[in-house]
Amino acid sequence: MGTDLATAAQVVVSGLLLGGLYALLAGGLTLVFGVMRVINLAHGELLMLGAYVACLLFAATGLNPIVALLVSIPVLFVVGAVTQRFVVNRVVNAPLLTSLLLTYGLSLVVTGTAQAVWTNDYRSVPFITGGFALGEVSISRPRLLAFAVSLVLTGAAHVFLTRTRWGKAMRATAQNADVALACGIDIDRARMLAFGIASALAGAAGTLVSFLYSVYPEMGRAFMLKAFAVIVLGGLGSFPGALIGAMILGVVEAGAAYLSTTQIAEAVIYIMLLAMLLVRPHGLLGTAER
Amino acid sequence: MVAASVTGLAARRLTSGYTAAMVLLGVGVSLLPLMVSNYILTFVLQALMACALAGSWNLISGFTGYVSFGHAAFFGLGAYAAGIAIAKAAVPAPVAIASAAIVAGCAGLCLGYPALRLRGPYFAVGMLGVAEALRVGITVAEPVTGGGRGLVMPPQDVLLPAYFSMLALVVLIVAITRAVATRPVGLRLLAIREDEVAAEVTGIQTTRLKLVAFATSATLAGVAGGIYAWHMSYIDPTTVFAGSLTVRAIAMTMLGGQGTVFGPVIGSVVLSVIGEVTWARFPFLHNAVSGALIVVIVLFIPRGVTGVLQDRGVLPRSRTL
Repeated sequence: MGTDLATAAQVVVSGLLLGGLYALLAGGLTLVFGVMRVINLAHGELLMLGAYVACLLFAATGLNPIVALLVSIPVLFVVGAVTQRFVVNRVVNAPLLTSLLLTYGLSLVVTGTAQAVWTNDYRSVPFITGGFALGEVSISRPRLLAFAVSLVLTGAAHVFLTRTRWGKAMRATAQNADVALACGIDIDRARMLAFGIASALAGAAGTLVSFLYSVYPEMGRAFMLKAFAVIVLGGLGSFPGALIGAMILGVVEAGAAYLSTTQIAEAVIYIMLLAMLLVRPHGLLGTAER
Repeated sequence: MVAASVTGLAARRLTSGYTAAMVLLGVGVSLLPLMVSNYILTFVLQALMACALAGSWNLISGFTGYVSFGHAAFFGLGAYAAGIAIAKAAVPAPVAIASAAIVAGCAGLCLGYPALRLRGPYFAVGMLGVAEALRVGITVAEPVTGGGRGLVMPPQDVLLPAYFSMLALVVLIVAITRAVATRPVGLRLLAIREDEVAAEVTGIQTTRLKLVAFATSATLAGVAGGIYAWHMSYIDPTTVFAGSLTVRAIAMTMLGGQGTVFGPVIGSVVLSVIGEVTWARFPFLHNAVSGALIVVIVLFIPRGVTGVLQDRGVLPRSRTL
């Protein structure tokens, strides 16, 4: 029985470590949805760009990926803010499908350009490796590091949203844009800021992913689907919901991968996503809307 | 400023002229094998396949506004149904293609029944997940499907029969779309796109109607997949479940005009030619070009070329176009 318990603990621990990263990624997706009712299908591509920032810097200067966060976060913030200002902002008030198609198109442009510029080769950042044992559970060092950084960044974003003036402006815009405007909030700037922050979070997640998984132009798709599954699970637009959803998804994925193969674990996630959409489309913590 | 719209006799003449041009295009394509090399025939076959996918996507997504990001799933299922029938049971091509239609159609019914209860955006992303899950499923089911290494069929030279089958499929899709567009059922589908709740309130059985449209669309995409498998005699999961198949279908339909009869045809002719020119020189920019096109169309001409021509008064506002 001892070994069974240890296996279960191992699965849960690995899942939670993975979940931290998903929370960082999904936090941005849910923020954008909350503030401007846009499901950003290019969110995975922002992660991919963040991963390439780390990869290219590492290849050129051997820069530590954690330090590379200082580059990828501001770079992706600007990319996101500019994209929002000049492209996405034009469809904020359009039906959801319009922005869905638009961001889908954007994601193809980014992936295709990345394939042309950086080729389809798989890259990796050999950073810290190995692990240590905690009782009967072994913990991977790079994953623990990524988990810790993810939690710090997600927490920082949460504090920014709840404690600062601009955070409150963003949440007010999310609740009711018209009333926020009437109260003197510059909702265009709040939206731009929200998209910038969301991109920065995705970029940070990408930089952390760069030393855990292979980096290639099409890596964003699977992550985007997982982030979407997370926010559907947690409730669209809910930041704490994303955190819970991410942890659940991480543990489910780790469990499915343990019981079968990683490939089947992917399929399990998509099926879970569909089932969740059918049973409780507003998620665990989201509010119902039609 | 509103441009003059074409009405009356002039409208009818234009409409029949436009339709005649499209029929002529069909006749031209069917006479092509007498004139050109196999290289060009293969290219036109690819264009016809893209047109079939765009046309079948248009039936569900163009009319009802339920954008499916997982259309390639049905193409892939059809390809595997036909491929397995040919490789393992050595059935003749018509039987293989019929089985592709049956498998894809049943999958459309089974997946559509739950998925179409989801509202637009949830449906769209849900279908993206479905396509990924099916691709993984086919890859994992290695004993039957050959897994990631692909499925090999006995090679045979079927360029001409495949060419005419694909052409027949495109004609069938256009005929179905025209029949839908000119009958009340087309209006009901468009009503779902404009306002589903209002459509429901006026007594339209939206879920059932969406399901029929979705299953029809899936069947037709499956047949295209079946013909593809038969023609190529080799298929693998990454090719037949490729997201780029869906992407091109969406871009082509949007370019030509969603919810129109000939929009997907126009879009696939234009994009296939552009694709052929750019493909050789910039292989990876292919998807980027489709993506950029989707962005531009969404922002500037959401109703596509057909819509622009109608707004300018060049074409009449007839639903048979």
